[in-house]
Amino acid sequence: MLAAIDLHGFLFVLFALTACVFAAGVLFSSNIVRMAFNLVLSLGSSAGLFFLAGAEFVGAMQLMIYVGGTLVLLVFGVMLTAQHRFLEMRTNAGEWVLSLLVGGALLMVLLQAAFSVSQWNTPYAQRDQVEIDESKSATPIAAALTGVRVDKLEETNPRLRAGKSGYLMPFVIVSMHLLVVLVGAAYLARPRMAVRQMRRGG
Amino acid sequence: MAGLLATITVSHYLAVGAFFFVTGVLCMATKRNALGVLMGIELVLNGANLNFIAFGSQYLREETLGLDGQLIALFVIILAAAEAAVALAIALSFYNAHSTIDVDQGDELKG
Amino acid sequence: MDTSLLPILLGLAVLLPLGSFWVILLAGNRLGKQAATVAVGAIVGAGVLSFWSLAIWLVHYYPTESGHGTEHHDGGLEHGHSDSDGHSPEPHALRSGHAPARAAADGVSGPDTLTADLTQLVSLATDDAHGVAGPSPAEPTDGESAPQEARGPPFAGDYYTLGLFGRMRLTIGYYIDTLTVLMFCMVTLIASCIHFYAIGYMHEELHDVTDHEVTLSSGRHLTRPGRFHRFFQYLSLFCFSMLGLVLAGNIAMVFVFWELVGICSYFLIGFYIERKSATNAANKAFIVNRVGDFGMIIGLMALWTGLGTFSFGSVDANSNGTIEADEQGMFELVRPGPDHHYRVPLGMALAESRKEVATLVQSWNAEAARSGKRLDKEELHQRLARHAEQAGWLEPQGDKAPRGYWWLIIGGVGIFCGCVGKSAQFPLHVWLPDAMEGPTPVSALVHSATMVAAGVYLVGRFYPMFTPEVLWVIAVVGCITLFMAATIAITATDIKRVLAYSTISQLGYMMLSLGVGGWAAGLMHLVTHAFFKSLLFMCSGSVIHAVHTNDMMEMGGLRKKMPYTAYTMLVGCLAIAGVSIPFVVGFSGYYSKDRILEQAFVFMQQNHSVWGALFFYAALGGAAITAFYMFRLWFLTFAGKPRNQHRYDHAHESPKVMYVPLIILAVFATGVAWKPFSWLPGSGLHLAALLEQARPAGVHGDLTGYWTRLVWPDEHFAHAPEQFYSVVVPVTLLATGTALSGISLAAVMYLWGWLSPGDVRRRFPRVYAFLWNKWYFDELYGFLFVRPTLGVARLVALFDRRWIDWVVDGCASLTRAFANAWEKIVDRGVVDGLANLFAGWVWSIGVWFHRLETGRLRQYVLYLIVGFLALFVLVSLFWSTTLAGGP
Repeated sequence: MLAAIDLHGFLFVLFALTACVFAAGVLFSSNIVRMAFNLVLSLGSSAGLFFLAGAEFVGAMQLMIYVGGTLVLLVFGVMLTAQHRFLEMRTNAGEWVLSLLVGGALLMVLLQAAFSVSQWNTPYAQRDQVEIDESKSATPIAAALTGVRVDKLEETNPRLRAGKSGYLMPFVIVSMHLLVVLVGAAYLARPRMAVRQMRRGG
Repeated sequence: MAGLLATITVSHYLAVGAFFFVTGVLCMATKRNALGVLMGIELVLNGANLNFIAFGSQYLREETLGLDGQLIALFVIILAAAEAAVALAIALSFYNAHSTIDVDQGDELKG
Repeated sequence: MDTSLLPILLGLAVLLPLGSFWVILLAGNRLGKQAATVAVGAIVGAGVLSFWSLAIWLVHYYPTESGHGTEHHDGGLEHGHSDSDGHSPEPHALRSGHAPARAAADGVSGPDTLTADLTQLVSLATDDAHGVAGPSPAEPTDGESAPQEARGPPFAGDYYTLGLFGRMRLTIGYYIDTLTVLMFCMVTLIASCIHFYAIGYMHEELHDVTDHEVTLSSGRHLTRPGRFHRFFQYLSLFCFSMLGLVLAGNIAMVFVFWELVGICSYFLIGFYIERKSATNAANKAFIVNRVGDFGMIIGLMALWTGLGTFSFGSVDANSNGTIEADEQGMFELVRPGPDHHYRVPLGMALAESRKEVATLVQSWNAEAARSGKRLDKEELHQRLARHAEQAGWLEPQGDKAPRGYWWLIIGGVGIFCGCVGKSAQFPLHVWLPDAMEGPTPVSALVHSATMVAAGVYLVGRFYPMFTPEVLWVIAVVGCITLFMAATIAITATDIKRVLAYSTISQLGYMMLSLGVGGWAAGLMHLVTHAFFKSLLFMCSGSVIHAVHTNDMMEMGGLRKKMPYTAYTMLVGCLAIAGVSIPFVVGFSGYYSKDRILEQAFVFMQQNHSVWGALFFYAALGGAAITAFYMFRLWFLTFAGKPRNQHRYDHAHESPKVMYVPLIILAVFATGVAWKPFSWLPGSGLHLAALLEQARPAGVHGDLTGYWTRLVWPDEHFAHAPEQFYSVVVPVTLLATGTALSGISLAAVMYLWGWLSPGDVRRRFPRVYAFLWNKWYFDELYGFLFVRPTLGVARLVALFDRRWIDWVVDGCASLTRAFANAWEKIVDRGVVDGLANLFAGWVWSIGVWFHRLETGRLRQYVLYLIVGFLALFVLVSLFWSTTLAGGP
């Protein structure tokens, strides 16, 4: 019986369940610190899903950037604003009902869409024949980011072959974007006297 | 159960992604704490990422996005990090201006 | 130093002034005085290139013939007169089969006519179309005509083909012979002198100018910025146009440059644009020239219809070494080898017999269609040519002219009409005296080297195309012009107007000469006249510059104040009067004018007709009058006592930059036609011999027409040694006598004062009034053309105001009324109402939506989701989706 259970399937169910449960935890917990904790677990589980789908590098990035970086940032934000009255801000029941109704409808629509396309829905018969070789490592991604697509070596179109099919350009743009964003974030976050005086009721 | 387990398809990943998405959206819709809204956004982005990964996976379909899916996911993660930084800065700024983190207090754009 | 350089050199010489024009045009006022430098540089450069071309020409084709004067021992093309007893020579009929009633019975052309023609043919044949080969060796022929003149071939070619229209090629081409080169040298030399002179004359234009002849409504004189650069800009364009005209290889190109010359003269005559008289004169010149050009266009069309080409010479367009039928030029078509006798071209004969051609072509086509063939154009053309040959269309029918002869006459008279306008011949001469409104350097340029020369030049260039009937027209027009203008000049007191009428008169001489068969004589007079007339004009300009008036009655005694001007002008007067020591030496005018008179004399001798006598005696009388009025001018201006002391006191000699060109021109006016003594080396190098080289093939030998019984004698006849005592001596003595009598009469009246001009005037009041009013030409034209035109214009204006304006106004007020009504009903009611309605709706929708804008972030997220869901539902309901490859 156990042998019949596919390891891949098993792990998928495991990670999917944990991810969903902790995501729901984020939604339903009213304490901001707990929310952050749930989010960490949920994102970590989804990293496991990435691994399962063969995107090892992205999964690792998910763990490092999201779990390691972004969430630390969030926790800092929590700490900076963590006065007692803000730790738990409750939403009234009417809003909950409305949101859940709308959200449920959206979930129905999305699930219906996800299972309605037959190509997405049929199991991949040759899954076991997929070879796992060294090209599944981070190397193709790194090469792609520098402009070379090792997974498309059989590309016949000469213009695409000429080193232009990689991601060097988006990579550079993203890098510049990050830099600008960080500068902008620093600029936004600096304390301003003028803004303080505009405080409501102040 | 075993049948289900043996036949993990793209749709299953999409379902999980949809769940993430809806959860994130609901977070945005219900949390009064600005940081909670931010977490909702992270969830939404993660749900989208799951879709990309699923479509790019070689284990799930014959014709895939291939490396494109992974790289887009990567870029999304990076942009999410940037967005988190900016959002945090906005939140701090908001906090400085209003002495609160409740997004319901920031309704200056009311028509 | 190849002759293939010639087109390049001369082409460059044409382009240099154009470049100068553009430079001055673009740089404008910033150049200041440098504008003159640019223009002078360009024209001097063109001059250098021209003389270089002349040198190349002489290296290759050195003239050996000496045409005129006492030594007639080596007459060149003196064939056609084998009968040495002075018997009436046999005229070349238009086609050898035709024998006019007056023709002598001594057979067809004499034997040495034939040989001379043959040798000439050989020389033409050995030089290929591009003239790379050198001069043909002089072949000794039997009889007296020993050395065959080394005449260069005319170089005809194309620089650039503008377009191909069927068989017609429209090109930018060149046609170079001695006439071209000589004209280039003459034009550039005189133009250079005038440019230098203008630097001095126009210096006032360097700064702001107050024009004392223009009074503004405020009562003050006009003050305007100087236009020094513009003057030189126009001069450059003028020179470019004239040089281009001379170089032009086809009549279409001539026409283009012709019009360019016209527009330049318009600019320059109207240079003082603020003066009403100047603008009027410019308009007059332009409009009168248009009248002539209209005739020219008709001539062009006639020629094109008949010949299918505009090109003068035959041009080997596909450069395969042979001249094919469609590459033949006009001259070749009208005077085909080997005898170069007049022949009506096939095209013109076909054009006149259109109806027969139409029936023929129809029948041939029908015949071909029966046998299942189709005749192409080439085949038809060949058949027509054969048919014309067999049916004798090209032959004269008894005494009737061959078919198509009409077209030649129309073409020739048409082209001559253009020349009448440009060269100010009767009846279109009226513009030239008024053109004196331009600055004097312009007058000098217009009246010597460029514009008026263009007409005579074209007649000379086009000479092979003129039938005897056209020549008769030319001679009559020239004769009337020369006499009329000379008489008017007697009474004129404006120094420049005297010269203007003198110019007209001299141009009449040239036309007369060309008209009676004196090709070389007329063109020689063109060259000599260009020198002495430019000299005279520039001297008069110098005088005007000094005394600030044109009126000779206010001058007098200026000789002491301005010696250079006075004596150079005296040289000019002597030259134009043709003074000489007979048979020894004389001023340039002596040589050219005597040749004209000799030709007219021979014409009179051989035609016992009233025309011959008229031509000769008019020319002779004109010569006397010319001498009279020129010396009247000189005496009134420079001799005697000052008649206006104030002006005299302020007079001064002109600056060096003005009088040095005068001296240069005086030298040329004296000696340009001189012939070195026969024992000197290079005795062949003189004007007449050079011109003789350019004589078009076929323009020699006697000629008679179909509709006129006059005979045009061979020009060489007058200079044959055996005619020396019967032609040259009497004519020379007569001419010298008339000139001297004219001069002495002028001296008697104006120098010594033995005869009072006032008395003469009172004695003949009617004659004086007639001459003073310039034969009432302006009044006549005013009555005939201007007043009727104005009357018609007034009528039309009345009609305009009464009826057209009424209709237009009515339409306008109707439109306005309609517009008002439309605005009230449709615009305000419907359009505005609709717009307001929609705006109100949008407004209320906006107000309603306003309530959704809570400013709450979380609500917005919900809206987002609801909107997405709604979209999804809509799409899935109404859209057959094919998402992700689904069905």
